[in-house]
Amino acid sequence: MNDFEKLRSLAVEGRLSRRDFVSSATALGASTTLGGALFSTNVVAQANKTPKKGGILRVGMEGGSASDSLDPRTYADSIMIAASLTLMNGFIEIGNDGKAKGELLESWETKPGATDWVFNVRKGIKFTSGKTLDADDIMYSLSLHMGETKSPAKGLLKQIKEMKKLSANQVQFILETGNADFPSVLSDYHLVVVPNGFTDWSKPDGTGAFTLEKFEPGVRITFKNKGSYWKPGRGNFEAVEILYINDKTARTAALQSGKIDAANRLDARTVNLLARDPKLNIVRTKGTGNRYCFVSHVTAAPFDNKDLRLALKYGIDRKKIIDTVFNGFATVGNDHTLDANNPYYNKKMAQRAYDPDKAAFHFKKSGLGNTGIELQTSEGAWGSAVDCASLYQESLKKAGINLNVKKVSADGYWDNVWLKQPFCAVYWGSRPTADIQLSTTFKSDSSWNDTKWKNAEFDKLILDTRVELDEGKRKEMYGRAQELVSDEGGMVCFAISDYLDGYSKKVMGNDPHPRYDLSDDRIAETGWFA
Amino acid sequence: MLRIIISRLALGVLTLLAVSVLIFAATEILPGDVASAVLGQGATPETLAVFRKELGLDRPATMRYLEWFYGALQGDLGISMTNKRAIAEEIAPRFMNTMFLAIFAAAIAVPLSVGLGILSAINEGKLVDRLANVLSLATISVPEFFIAYLLILIFSVQFDWLPSLATVFPEMGLGDRLFATALPAVTLTLLVTAHMLRMTRASVLSVMSQPYIEMAFLKGLRRTRIVIRHALPNAAAPIIAVVALNLAYLIVGVVVIEVVFVYPGVGQLMVDAVSKRDLPVVQACGLIFAGAFVLLNTAADILAILVNPRLRLPR
Repeated sequence: MNDFEKLRSLAVEGRLSRRDFVSSATALGASTTLGGALFSTNVVAQANKTPKKGGILRVGMEGGSASDSLDPRTYADSIMIAASLTLMNGFIEIGNDGKAKGELLESWETKPGATDWVFNVRKGIKFTSGKTLDADDIMYSLSLHMGETKSPAKGLLKQIKEMKKLSANQVQFILETGNADFPSVLSDYHLVVVPNGFTDWSKPDGTGAFTLEKFEPGVRITFKNKGSYWKPGRGNFEAVEILYINDKTARTAALQSGKIDAANRLDARTVNLLARDPKLNIVRTKGTGNRYCFVSHVTAAPFDNKDLRLALKYGIDRKKIIDTVFNGFATVGNDHTLDANNPYYNKKMAQRAYDPDKAAFHFKKSGLGNTGIELQTSEGAWGSAVDCASLYQESLKKAGINLNVKKVSADGYWDNVWLKQPFCAVYWGSRPTADIQLSTTFKSDSSWNDTKWKNAEFDKLILDTRVELDEGKRKEMYGRAQELVSDEGGMVCFAISDYLDGYSKKVMGNDPHPRYDLSDDRIAETGWFA
Repeated sequence: MLRIIISRLALGVLTLLAVSVLIFAATEILPGDVASAVLGQGATPETLAVFRKELGLDRPATMRYLEWFYGALQGDLGISMTNKRAIAEEIAPRFMNTMFLAIFAAAIAVPLSVGLGILSAINEGKLVDRLANVLSLATISVPEFFIAYLLILIFSVQFDWLPSLATVFPEMGLGDRLFATALPAVTLTLLVTAHMLRMTRASVLSVMSQPYIEMAFLKGLRRTRIVIRHALPNAAAPIIAVVALNLAYLIVGVVVIEVVFVYPGVGQLMVDAVSKRDLPVVQACGLIFAGAFVLLNTAADILAILVNPRLRLPR
């Protein structure tokens, strides 16, 4: 057995983590693609089987609290999103290829300019109450998020100028300006369908595979199968139970002892140990999670200096932060918020790497001398934001830049620090389209433009691409937009996290999804027991 | 006697009132309000304004407090700001859970620690005494979650004897409940034993240096009999006080244990409510906790008076 064979057998036996394997294999000069194949066999192997009915799925989840409500205008975290999609359906689903796929809105057509859209409502779908789905339900469910409302989806739907019922099964939308991605916009997780005029959110009436049995916010939610579901091969469990387990260790212990069948957000620091358990299956969704960034206001001194911004981008040791803080379970960011799974991700642009010399060069050029720079960070931004900032401080020191890390209170962080302080930590979640992802954060008129960066060329590119229907051109235009943000903007986006789910080996139908974890939070309807 | 009890109760009510004002003020001082906490990063000035108006947060704090107070006097705790459920309904089952766990833990911890304390006092300086002291001190010297994780690792993950999730539901039978909450109850027992054990031992031993105990020894009585019949009744007052204090802790101080074992108690509810600035819920939880403290302490005082005739006459 040569060295490589030895490594390989260790990996197969599960005595070596993927990371150890990759680093040792690289040291031996071997290709690491083989390693990738070894660690994902269990995911590939289950794709071809036919789903079976029955069983009770117990999911232990983080991402909810005792103040949760099933009102879609209040959704902000995983548990409510998953519960919502267990009871109700969305307008549009995102497929495993990352593209929009018909759900309750079955198909659509648009005219050149992409301002006029006609959607066909799926026929013969029934709510739990027995009512048949029609265009009025669709329009009512959307109107919940429009006008005078606290819904976070309000901004997304502002572009709808007019919403018109053409027939019982057709709805027309006239948009303020063209938007080629409009169907993907409707896949936002706040947008779920209830009957016209429905208001009792303690027991939502949906078209999903399950009905609500018990809802104890902060404790558990139980669901029962309705018996028939309109999506073929889905909605297989007899019952589903979501347990609130916000403590990572408690979640892991429950999974190990078989008290739950699935868990979200495993701890990256211990997941390699967990993967050795022969009863468990770890599903890793690569680089679609949160985008972790430090953002500076390009309008405020000293960040108005482009060289300083470049120095800050070259001076961060992305790889070290990912290896130490995320235990390798994250992808490097390239100073903009699109991830590599996005069809419009600019693959040609070079990945910015840690280069203390370049950072020192730009810092010198900026002429700031020995001025200290203050970065505000907090556990309120994300759990490890303080650790990341400390590592950033270390790596900048090697380039001769003094970063003063100030830890602030987690309470009210988004209210008092983010958008207000000139240099602070922030994360951005995944958005339905490249357009929304880029424009929410970087467009001049966005209320969440947290770098205060205003660039006419970028704004124009975003608006032009919105109405461009030619794929090749769209790709080129979004590519340029990413370059602009990465080179000129005030964001240091250093890592995009992976999602780590844990399942018992008998749970099938849990392929990683290009958007969220737990198969886009639809595990209740996609999964089944072997 | 009656006068003492009534004055104690009146003081208790006053304490509750002061606590409610303190909690209200504290949550007002915290940065951010319920609207910004619920909407999080998704907050824009527009959505914030709509949400605040919907919740009535645009009115002055004193007005809101007085309204809440008026409602509470009539037994109406209000509705939760975040999920619009009636607070009384939300708290009741969780409070029952908290009480259940507290009683379960106390039923093990109190006899165990008082018994061990007496045993230690009888065998002062011997192996039993030292062992009980060292072990109980060791368990309170490490953080509570460490003990909890250790127990989970051994009894749930390794041997699979007891469940690591103590999630209980209203429809569970008593047996299932006891089984589900075994690990948290044991953890809590380990946490409170040391305090009560050492107090029992110390107060019994302090009485042991009294002349009448010396007299008993000189009569030729056995040490066991002296401790139980002569020393213990006179040492009861401080023991009762420390037991009450620990019972109160079992009710109000177990948030960490609730999180680790995923136990649906009031502590977790209160932490969630504080992080979401859901004031009416925080107030209600605070009142319940303060009420438990006041009630247990009053009961302890009264009991101490009952066991010690010298205290019965008001000075």
